[in-house]
Amino acid sequence: MEIVYADNNATTRVAPEVVEAMRPFFEESYFNPSSMYDAAHGPAEAIKEARASIARHLGGVRSDEILFTSCATESNNTAIFGAVRANPARRHVITTCVEHPAVLNVCKELEHEGLEVTVLPVDRQGRLDTADFVRALRRDTLLVTIMHANNETGVVFPVGELARIAKETDPGIIVHTDATQTVGKLAIDLSRQLRHVDMLAFSGHKLHAPKGVGCLFMRRGTACRPFLLGGHQEAGRRGGTENVAFIVGLARALELAVATHEDDEPHITAMRDRLERELTARIPLTEINGAGAPRLGNTSNLSCHFVEGEGILYQLSAAGICASSGSACTSGSLETSHVLRGMGIPFTAAHGSVRFSFSRYNRKGDVDHIVSVFPEVIASLRRLSPYWDNASDRPRPEAEGMLHGAPAGAPR
Amino acid sequence: MTWEYSEKTKQLFMDAVHGVAGTHMGEIADPDGFGEHGSIACGDALRFTFRCERHPSDPLQDRIVEARYLTFGCTSAIAASEALCTIIEAGHFSPVQALKVSNQDIVDFLEGLPEAKIHCSVMGAEALEAAVFNWAQKRGVDLKALGLDMTSAEQEEGRLVCKCFGVTEPYLRRKIKELELHSIPEITNAIKAGGACMSCHHAPGGLQDILNDIWGRHPTTLVPLPSMPEGHRDATATGSELSPYQFAKQVERVLSEDVRPRLQDDGGNLEIIDIKEMTVYCRLSGACANCAGATGTMKLLVERILKERVDERIRVIAV
Repeated sequence: MEIVYADNNATTRVAPEVVEAMRPFFEESYFNPSSMYDAAHGPAEAIKEARASIARHLGGVRSDEILFTSCATESNNTAIFGAVRANPARRHVITTCVEHPAVLNVCKELEHEGLEVTVLPVDRQGRLDTADFVRALRRDTLLVTIMHANNETGVVFPVGELARIAKETDPGIIVHTDATQTVGKLAIDLSRQLRHVDMLAFSGHKLHAPKGVGCLFMRRGTACRPFLLGGHQEAGRRGGTENVAFIVGLARALELAVATHEDDEPHITAMRDRLERELTARIPLTEINGAGAPRLGNTSNLSCHFVEGEGILYQLSAAGICASSGSACTSGSLETSHVLRGMGIPFTAAHGSVRFSFSRYNRKGDVDHIVSVFPEVIASLRRLSPYWDNASDRPRPEAEGMLHGAPAGAPR
Repeated sequence: MTWEYSEKTKQLFMDAVHGVAGTHMGEIADPDGFGEHGSIACGDALRFTFRCERHPSDPLQDRIVEARYLTFGCTSAIAASEALCTIIEAGHFSPVQALKVSNQDIVDFLEGLPEAKIHCSVMGAEALEAAVFNWAQKRGVDLKALGLDMTSAEQEEGRLVCKCFGVTEPYLRRKIKELELHSIPEITNAIKAGGACMSCHHAPGGLQDILNDIWGRHPTTLVPLPSMPEGHRDATATGSELSPYQFAKQVERVLSEDVRPRLQDDGGNLEIIDIKEMTVYCRLSGACANCAGATGTMKLLVERILKERVDERIRVIAV
């Protein structure tokens, strides 16, 4: 069966050009770049070039501001723990309630270590209120860590603007952003619109490089202790033998993303928009989460009220469609997605949320296939639902009140 | 995390959503037994109904001939509902006999369920129990007299242990014994309690305490951990933790509540000119402005009240 892959915010297919660029470093040029002999010169030079290329494509920053890591989670851990350890006089951190666990759980750990963390709320559309941010800034604020775009909804935060406010308030505040979902999807310019950002984390596998390679931009002069201690690699800021092939792959993937961005972006957004139009027209009581906010063009987070996401994904999978959900049954815990809860999405909708995320490898036919399958999937589950009236194709009268987040009867 | 369902579970789910003949989706009008379990807030809910062939004189000889469900929930919740109805119909049980159908029977029928999905089978057994309870009420059958210790869910009110899923202590205690649950993960897998915020796990009177009490284990003595820092301290205690804006608002509020009324009694008033760190610059106006005791008023009244109510480091300077 043909697979329609619409889960590109989870991971992406590795571009053939990337595989090709990586190949020599597994086969003939496998040497440790730290070795002295001539043969090791190739890998060392390849890393140098990759670093320069990435620096150039993030807005012309300096090569020595680019650190290679194993994943975005490591980059985020490095940035946050590193900043905290380097600045013991300050004890306050600002973040948001919709961050990835790689940031949220690090912040929770900081609380255990005695720091204070302000977690900013978002509104029903997933937006931050800048006034909340301003109010949260304190004299002892050490770090601001706010994601660039949300992985579940695609909502983009005004990180450049928030960074400017933080720096004008107090240049000592360190600003970090988790840009895992935006590098390769948005133009990242650390010399202009993001010039007040000190650290920026991302990984390779969201932009058609393989899993297992990440990157951290660290602006010169940022006070940050190393996280992974070891050899002198990465100028002592991250120990461990460089993952040469993957670093080369990451650089190649970013080059491709930047080169094709202008052509791909309108095509991807058009697919997403058509998907949303067609599905909301065909399925009653469906809403798009984050539609009222600036969003990434590739991401669609839909909620179909009164059905449960796991059953949706199972049927989509049976039809060859790969997507994800914020429902409790798919989260590994028994809670719905913290992002949708943070937005105040009623649980009638949170359980029935599905995320489709596209890449440049998706085709128009993919949207056609989803549109031909998805409405019947929802209808089949609603027929089974005790909250749905099949005659009117509406919620039962007693369930209507739940649409606005009212409690669903007495939970036992 | 991909699906780890048995072929049987997958088949029942797909048959159900496609409305294949012989499946049991639906709701019986005027049922002899009606039972519900779960809620949409918790992520799954089951409405189970059955119809009996009524015995003309002895309700205990009623036979269940039809069973239907409506389920909001995941793949395994829907498959478990199918399984429940199939088992009940195939057994030609009387409602009292049907009570013997346990969640384990549902699991066996499904050829196994992943650990984390056991609660789907428990939901089936609970809805069945509730429906039999409902039948007994309608038919005037005294289940207690039959030696069945049945309590409807509504009657099991008590201290809420798991707030996320609304699970009370009496219900927990009954289920821990009935399903022989020996650990917190087993409780969560079976009845979801403790599966969300997890704060009830080791809280006093929480899941572990109840487990220890039931299975007679003694709590391990743990070294007390350092207490967590307070996220938001009482605003009146330490003004320095407030942003300047919040601090100013707090000062303004205290002045309005406690200071101005006293001055106004004397025909005066007070105005804040500025606040810099802990220094509040104030001006007395009205009758108080020219009062000989103005400076004394500032120190004795305004500063004292602000020190008490906002922050003891506050200085008040008369302007």
